Amino acid sequence: MGVSIQGGKGHRKSLNADLNLVPYIDLLTCMVAFLLITAVWTQLARLSAAQKGQGQAGEETPPELQLKIVVVVNQEGFNLVVGQDQTPIPKKGTEYDFEKLGTELKKAKDGHPDKNDIQVASEDQVVFDTLIRTMDTALSSRFVDISLVDTGAAGI
Amino acid sequence: MPIFAPKSHLYDSVNLEAAKARLTHHTRKSVYEALNLVAYIDMMTMLVIFLLMSFSATGELLFIQKNITMPDAQNWTALERAPVIGLSKDVVTLDGAQVAAMDELSKDAATGDAKISELYEKLVVLKNNYKLLHPTDQFNGIAIIQADKGVEFKALKKVMYSAATAGYNNVNFAVNARSKGGGAAPTE
Repeated sequence: MGVSIQGGKGHRKSLNADLNLVPYIDLLTCMVAFLLITAVWTQLARLSAAQKGQGQAGEETPPELQLKIVVVVNQEGFNLVVGQDQTPIPKKGTEYDFEKLGTELKKAKDGHPDKNDIQVASEDQVVFDTLIRTMDTALSSRFVDISLVDTGAAGI
Repeated sequence: MPIFAPKSHLYDSVNLEAAKARLTHHTRKSVYEALNLVAYIDMMTMLVIFLLMSFSATGELLFIQKNITMPDAQNWTALERAPVIGLSKDVVTLDGAQVAAMDELSKDAATGDAKISELYEKLVVLKNNYKLLHPTDQFNGIAIIQADKGVEFKALKKVMYSAATAGYNNVNFAVNARSKGGGAAPTE
């Protein structure tokens, strides 16, 4: 690689000068080696969940007067409980219908915009992947305070 | 010893016909050819930019265990340093040390107590150690559960119950971070 500068007439010496790229290539090689060693190929993260559906500290509303939103996960599918209303969301074949659950949760959130807490109540046989996807769907619907409980502890 | 002006020459033993021809025919062209490094430097620069984008300064807080396949999630938060409870299809571990076998968790306890005693005791020790080492800090009670996709809630709830009774009420589930588009998550 060179830098070309047009010289005037009568100059014998060329004005072309070569840039010394060796230090630059050295630096790039060292950076590539360092970054390859420290590279993180799998991004691990977390989903938070409380263990009980207790109210927030400082809340004065008695528990029986609070509106409870619960997603029951069982072998048949989901059952979204908003207060006294229940919306069963059966499986699509063998797969859980997360799309419909998301739609129903968004409706529930639009109906109760101040409500941020939700309970995910699971049966014993439900696998972890389904629970995570259910919690992820609830987080997508802006329910940020998630509790994971047993169906018996949900109190429905 | 006479001093000669330096010039290009080859040893007779080297049988480089093309180079010899150039040297012996007194051509004006130099035998030295400059390597074109532009493409090489472009490639290196792109590589550095890509690696810098995937660089994480936080380090590895969690290691992927070979017998655990973690689920994916889109609405994730960054990991914190906390005790890691691993749940594979065979064993339950705490920071890599086995504390229970999964067969035991699948059975209903005769006493009705869902607590895993070894896990509970080790978590209590960790909690006490934290309080001793950080006397001014408030104990946050965070534990990370790194469970396999196929683990049933029956086993999971026993682990969660054991953690809660030991004082670890804030349970975080380790997941593979995915972006909304379904690709790899952007680094923070």
